[in-house]
Amino acid sequence: MSLFDYDTRPATPGVVLVDTGTSAEAYRIRDFLSRNGHHYEWIDVADSEQLRSVLGDTAIDLSSLPLCILPDGTRLSPATLEQVAAGLGMVTGPALSEYDLTIVGAGPAGLAAAVYAASEGLQTLVLEAIAPGGQAGTTSMIENYLGFPNGISGSELATRAVAQARRFGAEILLARSLTGVSAEGYGYRAKLSDGTSVLGRTLLLASGVSWRRLDVAGVDELLGAGVYYGAGPSEALGCAGSQVVIVGGGNSAGQAAVRFSRYALRVTILVRGTSLASSMSKYLIDAISGISNIEVRTETQIVELRADNRLREVLVRSLATQDTRSLRCDALFICIGGEPRTDAVADAGLRIDDAGYVQTGRELGAVVELDENWNLPRPPLPLETNLPGVFAAGDVRRGSTKRCAAAVGEGSMSVALVHQRLAEVGGE
Amino acid sequence: MSDTVVPPGIGEQAVTEFSRLNSVERLNSVAQALNHNGFHAQSVGTGAEARQIVASLLPEGAEVFNNTSRTLESIGVADDIERSGRYEPLRLRLFGMDREMQAREMRVLAAAPDYVVGSAHAVTAEGSLLIASASGSQLGPIVSGAAHVILVIGGQKVVSDLEAGIRRIYEYSLPLEDLRAREAYGLPSGVNNILIMNKVVAPDRVTAILVHEVLGF
Repeated sequence: MSLFDYDTRPATPGVVLVDTGTSAEAYRIRDFLSRNGHHYEWIDVADSEQLRSVLGDTAIDLSSLPLCILPDGTRLSPATLEQVAAGLGMVTGPALSEYDLTIVGAGPAGLAAAVYAASEGLQTLVLEAIAPGGQAGTTSMIENYLGFPNGISGSELATRAVAQARRFGAEILLARSLTGVSAEGYGYRAKLSDGTSVLGRTLLLASGVSWRRLDVAGVDELLGAGVYYGAGPSEALGCAGSQVVIVGGGNSAGQAAVRFSRYALRVTILVRGTSLASSMSKYLIDAISGISNIEVRTETQIVELRADNRLREVLVRSLATQDTRSLRCDALFICIGGEPRTDAVADAGLRIDDAGYVQTGRELGAVVELDENWNLPRPPLPLETNLPGVFAAGDVRRGSTKRCAAAVGEGSMSVALVHQRLAEVGGE
Repeated sequence: MSDTVVPPGIGEQAVTEFSRLNSVERLNSVAQALNHNGFHAQSVGTGAEARQIVASLLPEGAEVFNNTSRTLESIGVADDIERSGRYEPLRLRLFGMDREMQAREMRVLAAAPDYVVGSAHAVTAEGSLLIASASGSQLGPIVSGAAHVILVIGGQKVVSDLEAGIRRIYEYSLPLEDLRAREAYGLPSGVNNILIMNKVVAPDRVTAILVHEVLGF
């Protein structure tokens, strides 16, 4: 037990989550609570002693798990993430009917834009489906971010950015996703998953990327039961003494390996390439090579998952020799590539490339002259899409550098362009 | 004393000496002594009033650390800080951080909050405050790390002098805190550190609110 376990235990009750440890919904809830800084106690329903100490003789309906008890005593069974978020008062409506700038996504790009826009007096709204920070928010320690010589964790960077954005007056709505965008006058109406909508004179798409699905049979069924997408910070403590496998060769995979190596018995990184050098920062490669319980296996891929009620083993094939061998695996973290999050704007006429990334600025070139959505005599501004006043920044944008600082730069830069657009339509 | 319930581990003499509410006049006099020593002190009638004063002192959005304190819990201040949404509750933020990967960030954050809100174990008639701590982590911010310190102190904690204050800590507060720590953490408590504040140099940095109610240990 560290000093902080002793001295920072909350004085008020948190969320209690009871589950089998194999439920995808329970994992969504744990991940959501963890990434939003809500403390919770997770109890395995098989641990009768702990159950009794926390819940007394309260009966539990095993057919309605996960059970979630909120701080005010409300029992949700079976609980969903949306119910938990609403029950914790995290789902609030927008304060205004119209904003100068609607930002979709509270990752580094979205939060940077929120800070600059709000600090310059723009009415700014940020929509975030899960938790602030984006993929960078789950990063254990970013060591090459300017101004933090000892590194900064992704979650701490996100927490500070959210506080900064709110201090300048930006509104951040959590736990609801964008479901559609439609033009309205000079602006755009963003429709949200809870049925509400909000009008923005400009819109910044900073929705980032989601993890690419691992194409192996049984993955979806084992989600939350030993298979996780992303670095899963909520699962770190639960990995104590475990065999952890991470798929992916990028910085996210490297960060996850460093984090889990502190808790797990052994961490194995599986990559398809011949080395990590082409995909991972050198400081992370150096860090990994200095950690004795991390092993990197190159030119490998998972071909089969073996499970009972949860994941137990993965079958790994060598791409060089075609040999296969099994590997004990208590937890598999998939950190491969990324799928741009553009589903919600697919019907709005936004130009995206074959991989789904949003096209912006000069690369739209002469295309916009033939685009029915483009009705201006000027070409798109840098970061502007083929929809006038809709911008894109960060990982979701085609051609972006997939680094936290680059996303922050693009988010900051987008605000100057938003000002130009607002001046053009008489919004300021 | 025959009708007084003596908590486990505490002698009847200690209960007599350290658990009884002091008069309003005495609390006013102690508040005056604290003010003389550079504290910003006042005496109020109820925990509810103290709660309102704390709320009026904490700016919305401030980064606030609420020390482990039965006093703060009993009058609702802990709940206000952790649950109202008006502040950035540092305690919750720290508790959710990764002990392995974020140890350095945690140390830095815990050392220097904008506001720390807590209590004291004894206050002397001459205007000195005594605070004991098992880990010592709350003492650094109170002495100098935090920009502002707010202490809410039950009216039973006034003692004649420093010697009586230290006896109060060992003979009365410790057994009760030890019981709480064993229940909460499964670990014993201990008087491993004692902070004595005789004077405050920075004007208005430390606010002490004396409450005419029995609060905390």
